[in-house]
Amino acid sequence: MHSNNPFQRGSSFVSSEFDRRKLLKLGATAAAGAAASGVLAACSSGGGSGSSSGGTATVRIWSWYTEMKDTLPAVIKDFEAKNPNIKIDSRIFGTPDQYLPALTAAVSGGDVPEIFAPHVRAITYGEQGISADLEKELGSSFLQNFFPPTNQEYTKNGKQYAVGWEAQTFGLFYNPDIFKQAGVNGEPETWDDLIQAAAKINAVGKASVSISCNPTTSALDFFLPLITQVADDPTYYLKLDQLQEGYTYTDKLVVQALELNDRIVKAKVFQPGTTGTSGDQAQQLFYTEGAAMFFAGSWTPSGLITNAPAAFVKKYKVMKTPAIKSGARHWTADQAGAGFAVSETSKNKDAALTFLKYLYSDAVYSDLMNKSNSMPSTQSAAEKITNPMLKLMTSWLPDGCPHIPFGAGSSAAGDPLGKIFDQSASPATVAQEMQVAVLNAKG
Amino acid sequence: MSRNSIPAPPWTRVSMRPRGQSVWKLQRSERLAGYGFVLPISVLFAVFVGWPILFAMYLSFTRWSGFGAPNFTGFANYTRMLNDPVAAGAFVNTIVFALVTTIIQTAIPLVIAVLLSAVWAGLGVVIRTILFIPGIVSFVVSGVLWKLIYDPNLGTLNTTLKSLGLGDLAQHWLSNPHLVLPSIIVVSVWAATGMNMLIFFAGIQGVDPTYYEAAEVDGANRWQQFWYVTVPGLRVVTAIVISLNLMNGFKVFDIIYVMTGGGPSHQSEVFGTYLYGLAFGSTSGSIPQLGYGSAFSVVVMLLGGVAVLVQVILSKRANR
Amino acid sequence: MTTTQSTAPFDRASARRRRRRFPVAKSFISVILVAIAALMIFPLVWLVLTSLRPRNTVFGGSFFPTSITFDAYSTAWTSTNFGLHFFNSLWITSATVIGVVVSAALAGYAFAKLRFPFKNVIYVILLVTLMMPSTSLIIPLYLQLKSIGLLNTQAGLVVLYISSSAPFAMFLMRAFFEILPVELIQAARIDGAGEFTIFWRVVLPLARPGIATVIIFQFLGTWNEFIYANTVLQSTDALPLQPVLFGLLGQYQTDWPTLTAGLTMSIVPVVLVYVWMQRQFVAGMTLGAVKN
Repeated sequence: MHSNNPFQRGSSFVSSEFDRRKLLKLGATAAAGAAASGVLAACSSGGGSGSSSGGTATVRIWSWYTEMKDTLPAVIKDFEAKNPNIKIDSRIFGTPDQYLPALTAAVSGGDVPEIFAPHVRAITYGEQGISADLEKELGSSFLQNFFPPTNQEYTKNGKQYAVGWEAQTFGLFYNPDIFKQAGVNGEPETWDDLIQAAAKINAVGKASVSISCNPTTSALDFFLPLITQVADDPTYYLKLDQLQEGYTYTDKLVVQALELNDRIVKAKVFQPGTTGTSGDQAQQLFYTEGAAMFFAGSWTPSGLITNAPAAFVKKYKVMKTPAIKSGARHWTADQAGAGFAVSETSKNKDAALTFLKYLYSDAVYSDLMNKSNSMPSTQSAAEKITNPMLKLMTSWLPDGCPHIPFGAGSSAAGDPLGKIFDQSASPATVAQEMQVAVLNAKG
Repeated sequence: MSRNSIPAPPWTRVSMRPRGQSVWKLQRSERLAGYGFVLPISVLFAVFVGWPILFAMYLSFTRWSGFGAPNFTGFANYTRMLNDPVAAGAFVNTIVFALVTTIIQTAIPLVIAVLLSAVWAGLGVVIRTILFIPGIVSFVVSGVLWKLIYDPNLGTLNTTLKSLGLGDLAQHWLSNPHLVLPSIIVVSVWAATGMNMLIFFAGIQGVDPTYYEAAEVDGANRWQQFWYVTVPGLRVVTAIVISLNLMNGFKVFDIIYVMTGGGPSHQSEVFGTYLYGLAFGSTSGSIPQLGYGSAFSVVVMLLGGVAVLVQVILSKRANR
Repeated sequence: MTTTQSTAPFDRASARRRRRRFPVAKSFISVILVAIAALMIFPLVWLVLTSLRPRNTVFGGSFFPTSITFDAYSTAWTSTNFGLHFFNSLWITSATVIGVVVSAALAGYAFAKLRFPFKNVIYVILLVTLMMPSTSLIIPLYLQLKSIGLLNTQAGLVVLYISSSAPFAMFLMRAFFEILPVELIQAARIDGAGEFTIFWRVVLPLARPGIATVIIFQFLGTWNEFIYANTVLQSTDALPLQPVLFGLLGQYQTDWPTLTAGLTMSIVPVVLVYVWMQRQFVAGMTLGAVKN
């Protein structure tokens, strides 16, 4: 009935010319880009697969350790000057969520980066022949310098599949001003002390302890030292993590620890909505003085220097996680949250090991750690720490309990634990759910 | 149709061919053209979408973490899905999210587009551009921005409510299981309104004004003109907008992942976020479960395929 | 009913005048729209303001920064090698847009207007992945790229983008082509035109709003894409802009001013494309291309 007669609309011819000119322009850009990127692609695919061209080995180093972003390039340049046959390609992702897809894909494609942050997969990858046995490659004299828990966490059956880069201990950071305001004297030594302090702090309108339970594995960071305290045995969680004979989540020691956790939550020690608070949000609550204390690891001082107002950075302090009763050991959670593994299958494994040894050499390593305000994993570097907060937290390492679950399925215990934090299940139920969840995820 | 107003097409150099002969040639050339035109997209699809889907289907019957050889496990992944409360939750959340966002993201932009066509042209252009800008930033950025806005302690939303004396209304927008999905829906609407509104606006402009004149001559008031002229004229455009929103709602990932990671406790888990965690073993540190993840992808694909089929059938019926 | 009624904008305005709108209603509506616009733009105003703040004053201060500095912009430019990645994004996105427009327009037209056996079967198969989240097929896609040897190349990424985005673009284009009357094409056929000539000369010019829509959507989608680029490209030099900017979003520490400065700068080309396209888009629609 009605036609849109194309030949009637004089303007459309002009526009269609314009259309074509547009397309041509885009085409030209694309063609130019294709030429340029062809060159780039040739370079990148050459370098990316780690192949040596004309005797140069490319070593890729991948991690999400953004603390080193500004300081690592200089170290790399120095190394390349001393080792002209080796080229380092460093890629620092923003967060593990950005990093893990790239790593998973690279592993599934069989092209593992020469040096990579193993996250919690060090042992799994090691047993599959993806990460190299560093006990063999680096030798025990090299590894002796490291704090024992940072070696042990990556070791299974006598083989060590990664080395610790940044060690960590957990502590309770606190704001002395709010303590004064609420009338809290000194540092709470036990959980009961903490509960009493919380009552006073809540009374002046602040949250007592800021904690992140999103993802729920961060909640495990709080819970696992409790188990160690209840059992008074730093190897208890390790055995539970591996689900060794006789160790289950339904054991009465675990239930006791859950009950303690439950009591702490019921006493309104934490801010409301913990299961919806992410790590950076919990930190923000602390440095905007909405909470008196902050339960987190030793990566926090570095973060606070970047994020928090200068005045706050000067005044905050840190104390050990409270103990179960007066005089008992605090059993601070520790280990190395950031490590490096070496690819077993890469052609440039030797070059990678050379670079790794360079990174850990005394002067380089302690300089890197100090500049990025990170906690070193070697004892020699620990003696040279400049940041007082970190120095204090590093001194807790000997009194620490390992807390990172490396066993298959262990991190699935986090979801049921979240129910203690949002008060939607009882400790006994949660214990059973943990056991079921871990067995399911184990497969 | 007034053929006599068409100037001679530039390709007419030969006289018309006898009809009988040209029919067969026309049909054949049409068929060849059909396949030829469809060839580029089909080849790309087959190589880069079709084959990976087949591979994913194969993986769905195995257990694989990305290294070593996949373990054949038969239907184990599918039975696991039936008993998986998180998968069921993701299913419900995705459907709810897709439906609600489609309805809101079709209605509100339509209303705004109608309002826009009623104001001065200059102001209209400015407002159209401003409304479009939220849709320009990626969903990751929108998610990060709104996560800050929704922060229960520092976020602008709660601090504004408190300063207005409405402190009681301040909520834990993203940590309250009942509020988390609605809060995320608000962000989706915020980002999608601009583009949808633009499409509707263009559609409204495209309605022939003679219809309005005719309606006015027949005595219709402005409301009746809107209902009987504008709305029918927007049928095609509305169908496009609905399809677009439904598709994006089903596929949603970035915005939820950045704001809540699927939390708290999987209350905002959707297909996209759950698949991500299964495929890559997310921050919580689990080992990739590519076999189970592939099974889940296959189910999602089948569900999506059904939805697409329904849409296609409905639109064919509508066009008849 | 309609003969040679011109549909130029001038007549539109007079038509509006004929509809006798009262300025009161217009002003009231304008106020509402301005309020809506202000609310909607607010988070992005925050984004730009944050890029002007000194580093440690992002939280806990007032909404409008007390001191302004453009340091973040120069930091963003140098520390992220902004220029290189911007160019990467530009070329990757442009190539993708062209590839998508070409393949989608051809196929969309074929499905809308041409007749050939198994047409519907092919159509539905092509659409089967329309609803799938981007995260569902990353590993199989990655492995496929690897086996073809296109891994870690920008060309491989572009091909991946085109393949996964073309179906939806085709869906859109088909909808636009369906509206066109068959008589047009039949007439051209009788006049002896070849199928491709018909497509190129007769039909395509009419599909401008469709093409403009696809260009805007595709440009936006590809410019902002993150996860595939991040996974498929290994060497940092080849990366487009988004993955590099999001590298500034740390797990526990984020340099907000630099991040927001980078994001502000990255929005500019998209706004330009939008402004350019929307005139085509709206103009095309007003020329009566969309009708029942």
